[in-house]
Amino acid sequence: MLVNGFVELKRDEVLETVKGRVEQGDDALKILDDARHAMTVVGDKFQEGTLFLAEMMLSAEIFKEVVTILQPGMDKARPSESIGKIVLATPKGDIHDLGKDIFATLLIAQGFDVHNLGVDVDPSKVVDTVREVKPDFVGFSALITTAFASMKKTTDILISEDLRGSFKLMVGGGVTNSVLKDHVGADFQTIDAMEGVSYCLKTMKEKNQ
Amino acid sequence: MQKETMTSIERVECALNLEKPDRVPIWPDVTTSAAAALTDEKIWEITHQGFDAEQDLELKLFDEYGGWDAVNPALTADVFAVGGNKIIKATEESPEIQFVEGEWTKYEDYEIIAEIGWFQFVTDHLIYRVSDIKDKAEYDKLYGEVINGTLRGMAEYQKRGAFILYAQPNNHPFFTLSLARSMVKFTEDLFYRPEMVERALKKMTEEFIEFGLMLCEMANLKNTKVIEERAGGAIYPLRVFDRFWWPYTQQIVEAFHSRGIMSSFHLDTCWDKNLHYFKELPRKSAMIELDGTTNIFAAKDILRNHMCIASDIHPALMSLGKPEEVAAYCRKVIDEVGDDGGHILSTACGLPAAAKKENFIAMLETGKTYELSK
Repeated sequence: MLVNGFVELKRDEVLETVKGRVEQGDDALKILDDARHAMTVVGDKFQEGTLFLAEMMLSAEIFKEVVTILQPGMDKARPSESIGKIVLATPKGDIHDLGKDIFATLLIAQGFDVHNLGVDVDPSKVVDTVREVKPDFVGFSALITTAFASMKKTTDILISEDLRGSFKLMVGGGVTNSVLKDHVGADFQTIDAMEGVSYCLKTMKEKNQ
Repeated sequence: MQKETMTSIERVECALNLEKPDRVPIWPDVTTSAAAALTDEKIWEITHQGFDAEQDLELKLFDEYGGWDAVNPALTADVFAVGGNKIIKATEESPEIQFVEGEWTKYEDYEIIAEIGWFQFVTDHLIYRVSDIKDKAEYDKLYGEVINGTLRGMAEYQKRGAFILYAQPNNHPFFTLSLARSMVKFTEDLFYRPEMVERALKKMTEEFIEFGLMLCEMANLKNTKVIEERAGGAIYPLRVFDRFWWPYTQQIVEAFHSRGIMSSFHLDTCWDKNLHYFKELPRKSAMIELDGTTNIFAAKDILRNHMCIASDIHPALMSLGKPEEVAAYCRKVIDEVGDDGGHILSTACGLPAAAKKENFIAMLETGKTYELSK
């Protein structure tokens, strides 16, 4: 039921179903797992080329509304275990967040614990968060080239603070390519949010084997 | 090395007409931020000196680096602001104009736009939501400065023998609404309640044509700009493209083409899935400018001998690459996209603020010498 609703963007139907299950006393975490499964199907269809970014984005919006409905029940329940931790930021000098926020929502839907630091983020904030959270991934998003220097500076500080070896570094966004990946010493680069999600899932799978 | 046999204007016209010029025409698509960086100026200081100072900055770049073939007058923050965009001007920490994504319009606004048109909606409502402009008189004053500054910039480039590719940036009605409403909300509107969006698009398309024709007539130009960064297959399924973008685009192109004006499409994001549509447009009625994410070589295969393509030196390559890498990419697109003409050597989505001087020089020198040396 939820899968079709997410794939076909039947927002009202999905939300009514979720509300109904909550009222009937269904476990919030079980409903969340179902919604996550539906988002996985959406992601698979995107990678197959049968769904487009706009549709995946709207599915993610539905997912966010589902989480809002489930939140009171989840607060009472045992904490949901994340499958990995990610710190995301648009570096200092760049205020664009559209792609990064879509990526963040897709990661949350897959069960990742996402620390989205927002836009125009100072290197020290990234470093402090990495030290505190101990993430599996750090992701930088950029839409303008002036963010490159800030990305590099942040990465250099992470190296000098001996933190860089503990996570995979990802760069993404319209102006990124392999040249930038090499410049900042990233492990992965993409302009495709779902490709980034797949990379995170694959990396965690390998890490946990 | 052979000598040049064409003027800049002849060279660009030749490429637009899908013929082979003496060498590839060069259009770096300069941004004010890049112009400042490449001339050792501080954009965050110049921006606050007014429109003329920004025009002069780009002219300084043109003169210092020996000029090139095709130009557009400076696209300053004010140019975009009068169009109803929420803009952050360049600062020392962030020396590029940035567009702020936000819900600057509400769903109810589509009905107002459909009734009174986009331009009046901007002056009556939107401008007060996205800028510090206090009243219509202040808006009109700023708009006057933009028009006069643009005309002055054009005159200066014409003195230098350059081809004016377009006068003002015109966002496609679809892109205009997406920027003003935010991409997520606009997409929800398209999928869940599209009727009012369509009414607004219809009205805005009529205005786009009317305004663009007026500008072309006023500035005596044979080209107009159509900016679209979101409608392509990287984001929307073809059924959305078919319903909300392509019919309005055909209407725009046909209206301009019937007056002998070419539409130049600034197409950001990947358009691989949409390229074949452009084959439906009348031959030589349009050109496309790609941003490095669309496969330009596939685009050439599809649109060969049908429309001119402006190539796409990637911003990361211009900013971080080596001059020999920039030169190698320029040679590749000159050989493969320009083999039979119909190619303008350009940058992807404009010359980036972080472009290195040596890379900019490599682009200009390769464009000016490669074919003449062969």
